[in-house]
Amino acid sequence: MKKVFPVVLMLAVLTVSTVAFEKTASAEDVKMVGSITKIEMASDSTSAKVTLKDSKTGENIVVTVADESTLDKFKDKRIVDGDEIRSKYDNQDGRNVAKIFKKTAGC
Amino acid sequence: MVKKIAVSAILGVVLSASLVSAKEHAGKEYILKNGYQGPKTCETCHPGKAKEILGTVHWKHASKVDNVEGLKPGEEYGMKNRIYTMCNGNDIVNNLKEIPPNQLGQTKFSGCNTCHLGDHTSEVGSTGPQAEESIDCLICHSSKYDFSKRKPSKRADGTIIMGQDRSTEAAANLSRPTSKTCMVCHETAGGGVLVKRGFSVDPKNDVHVANKMVCIDCHQVKNHKFPTGYDPNNWAHDGERISCAGECHTSKPHKNADLNRHAEKIACQTCHIPKTGGASAKDFTKWEKQANGFWEPSTLRREVNETKPVYAWYNLTVANRPTFIGPNGSRVDGKSKIYPFKIFQGKAYFNKKTGELMSMDFAPPMANGDALAGVASAAKILGIKDYEPVPGWQTIYFGSNHLVGPKKNALSCTSCHVPNGVLNFSELGYSSKEIQKLTSPELYFEETVKAQEEW
Repeated sequence: MKKVFPVVLMLAVLTVSTVAFEKTASAEDVKMVGSITKIEMASDSTSAKVTLKDSKTGENIVVTVADESTLDKFKDKRIVDGDEIRSKYDNQDGRNVAKIFKKTAGC
Repeated sequence: MVKKIAVSAILGVVLSASLVSAKEHAGKEYILKNGYQGPKTCETCHPGKAKEILGTVHWKHASKVDNVEGLKPGEEYGMKNRIYTMCNGNDIVNNLKEIPPNQLGQTKFSGCNTCHLGDHTSEVGSTGPQAEESIDCLICHSSKYDFSKRKPSKRADGTIIMGQDRSTEAAANLSRPTSKTCMVCHETAGGGVLVKRGFSVDPKNDVHVANKMVCIDCHQVKNHKFPTGYDPNNWAHDGERISCAGECHTSKPHKNADLNRHAEKIACQTCHIPKTGGASAKDFTKWEKQANGFWEPSTLRREVNETKPVYAWYNLTVANRPTFIGPNGSRVDGKSKIYPFKIFQGKAYFNKKTGELMSMDFAPPMANGDALAGVASAAKILGIKDYEPVPGWQTIYFGSNHLVGPKKNALSCTSCHVPNGVLNFSELGYSSKEIQKLTSPELYFEETVKAQEEW
């Protein structure tokens, strides 16, 4: 029994660290630049799903935007289809949630 | 009793007036009936306002400047004509234009003056009836402005114009400008969102915003003239200046006498704006190809609150040399206070023959990355024939005047009065003996111990 306990404890620690590591890895930030091909506002206007065409790969990426300031830019068309966006997002529960969502253009 | 009734009556009138003004613009019915024909519609009830705008920095992008060294007296300076390394261009050399095709054959419109209130046929600083008619009043005054209409386009004759939303819907929905109104332009300065200034108007970042204040609550506009501060890199001004002390705060704003004594020599921003943000460096001699085929100057970006400021004495006059733009001041001139600054360093081309910083037309390097072609184009526009471009760095001190954090984030005794504190006392002009005293816990220990929470 005395020999079994440390092994069980070690396995438990290993399992917990593996799960924690996987969570950290899956939450890694992704950076991309792409053009907006579609903006879908949620019915309650508290978020929007934006499809960005990755400028490097051509792949379509759907990013969820929830910050008020950016949502307001969708509403008054300061950000529209075709605009080029620099975005940083991470995957939360299967959704790419934007941490940064900015037009690349400036003056 | 009579006094109380009078006060209530006045409050009542003010409240009803504000409710009416918040509810509806008095001219809404007129606009709905007659449609919107640009500024002349506004002038029906607000005569003289269009002409008034033409005399402001928002229109001229320049003004006379009296606190910066090395400028020609009587001339006007601003983004219209300045050359420095955050932008390395200005309205003259980077007038809104079509960028030549890149390797992918794509073009785009770009220019420093894309934020100008005119339609680009009437340009920065223009005057006269046509200029008045071209003002985009609604971009600031409408709450229903459709920004998708404010885009540059090319006419059949090749002229580039900037679109405006002059719809009846936009004109019929007027309101007091919000912070968004200002940030439409001001957040994209310097080549991208939050690149130049690095502050976002957000309740998380600023106690004023958290208290529902908007930009014009501090920058209180009178006759379209905006009061501004003394940022060493923000030269043009409308002749009105802004200060924390005044309507909202006094010159002795703290309950603690020691802190009020500090306020005599230390600007409010120093303790209450502990972080800054935005780009920290740019290299205009090396442009990076973007995924879309266009090129951008290489830039070290920093997010909001990501950068620590530096602190220096500032007497509100500005040192202006080719390699340095920043505060003048010292601890002994009797005029200076310690202010926080964001240090920005930019690399661009200097004219070896004169030592002056050269400007760059972004059109060539945006299309193909050729920075020297941009210098040559700008030199041609400015009529400079005798030059030899050599790369070099310029340091600029930007005033750190926004992002006023909550009280708990403000600098405290132990932020500065410790050997590894945020203030470099030696550079601020203090002797070793003085520094020893300034960094001793003797100054604050007893009071801080009393104030700290019990475990």
